[in-house]
Amino acid sequence: MKPRVVLVDDHDLFLAGVRAELGDAVEVVGQAGSVADAVPLIGELDPDVVLLDVHLPDGSGDAIINAVAPERPGVKFLALSVSDAAEDVIAVIRAGARGYVTKTISGPELAAAIERVATGDAVFSPRLAGFVLDAFRAGEVVGNAELDELTPREREVLQLIARGYMYKEIAARLHLSVKTVESHVSNVLRKLQLSTRHELARWATQHRLV
Amino acid sequence: MLRTYAPSSDEKVIAGVCAGIARTLGVDATLIRLVFALLALAGGAGILLYLGLWAWASGKRVWVAAVLAFVAGMALLGAVGLSDRAVIGIAVIAGGLALAWRQGGSFHPEAPLSYGGIALAAVGAVVLLSGGGTSTAVLAPGAVAGALLLIGGPWVWRLALERDAERTGRIRSEERSDVAARVHDSVLQTLALIQRHAHDPRRVAALARRQERELRGWLYGDQPLGDDTVSLVAALEEAAGDVEELHGVRVELASAGDSPLDTSVSALVLAAREAMTNAAKFAGVEEIDVYAEVTDDEIGVFVRDRGAGFHRSAVPDDRRGIAESIEGRMERAGGRAKIVTSPGTGTEVELHLPRRTS
Repeated sequence: MKPRVVLVDDHDLFLAGVRAELGDAVEVVGQAGSVADAVPLIGELDPDVVLLDVHLPDGSGDAIINAVAPERPGVKFLALSVSDAAEDVIAVIRAGARGYVTKTISGPELAAAIERVATGDAVFSPRLAGFVLDAFRAGEVVGNAELDELTPREREVLQLIARGYMYKEIAARLHLSVKTVESHVSNVLRKLQLSTRHELARWATQHRLV
Repeated sequence: MLRTYAPSSDEKVIAGVCAGIARTLGVDATLIRLVFALLALAGGAGILLYLGLWAWASGKRVWVAAVLAFVAGMALLGAVGLSDRAVIGIAVIAGGLALAWRQGGSFHPEAPLSYGGIALAAVGAVVLLSGGGTSTAVLAPGAVAGALLLIGGPWVWRLALERDAERTGRIRSEERSDVAARVHDSVLQTLALIQRHAHDPRRVAALARRQERELRGWLYGDQPLGDDTVSLVAALEEAAGDVEELHGVRVELASAGDSPLDTSVSALVLAAREAMTNAAKFAGVEEIDVYAEVTDDEIGVFVRDRGAGFHRSAVPDDRRGIAESIEGRMERAGGRAKIVTSPGTGTEVELHLPRRTS
């Protein structure tokens, strides 16, 4: 079954482009251009995946996630942005998005990312992998070591994602199954959302103040 | 306080002025009467003051009261031993102050400057200072300074405010022209280029992408738009942009950490640029992934494509690209290059540069 998708972006031209590029791969059930419009729409449509712009005219993507998630825990969010600012991206992921892709992503790649998010997996673009490696770089760990540090294996997987490897290429290179690679990525996502590392907290705080 | 004063009709001896003041101040009327009696001895000042206060309180012309109080003050000053010239000087200064006051309440910065008041006060100051005598030596400088402050102060204050506003405005307009210059040097130039290459979609896309990268770097980072790059990531971004523009490919750049540029880091960037160029020219793909990682020990840059790949032995010896521009350059900089490729699997160039521990 094709995933049911809601698009949230304030650029009409971009929305039209995304719709055209996605074609038949997914079923686009609705679209919104602001936080105020998106929250009730998502609650009503209950889609599988919300494709979410990080910046909206009346707020940021994480505001939508925070408003919708308690009522619709089944809805998955995939952040889509031109923003290069690490704090923006990290804030949306920490709010609960299952992944982040840049707006330059190709149509088929985007469709594949939506499929993957719909099934509960995480989607890390090379850029997000770089941000995460940066945030989890060696430094003093004050809180929970299990959550605040990446295992060497997770680090390896993330580095290969940053280098542009696909999951099956990573699996072949590290002699793992694709499922294991996926679970490493999901673990990293969980740590990203739950960790109290001060770099992440700092990014989130900066984001709220902006 | 004086506004609440009214002559007392039931306790009056002459006009009730002393009793009224005493009631307002909450002291015994006899004390006030004593003060006025003493003041009356001082050249009749007490009598004049009494008349002035009575005129004022009974609603007679206010200027009559003011003149009477003024003359009373002068009489008092004369009585305490000031020379006539000093008394006249002070009187003229006071007149100047009164004039300045009348012409716009001069204690507001916006008040018009009272030239008449200033002139009068200046004349008074000259008279006072030239009056000589020991009694004026102490009094005069203070009186002159006070007068000048009262009249000139608001004017100086206003000047300072104006200069502040002017400076803020100037800074703002400088900022605006700075932004305009940057936008002109980058965005407008790119838009012109895009119009000229409208028939070539790949070039248009590359131009737009490069501009986007640059603009974003300026908006979200500290990289100066169009200026010389100062860090590893900024330099790689510029190299990636150049390769995109020249060869019509997409370069995805990811990074963790950053490092300032020195000669060996610059060599690393040049080697990475060569690797990107090779991938763009020979791999036959539309996208190249570049990842830069800065750890405590080393800087790693990975340039990867999913293209044709090649056999190292099949590269002709006269092709200096890989041997010289990548491997040789990295070795001279104190690092190393590793190239992983085979036909059909794409190519990855790994560049490693140890970091000097400083």
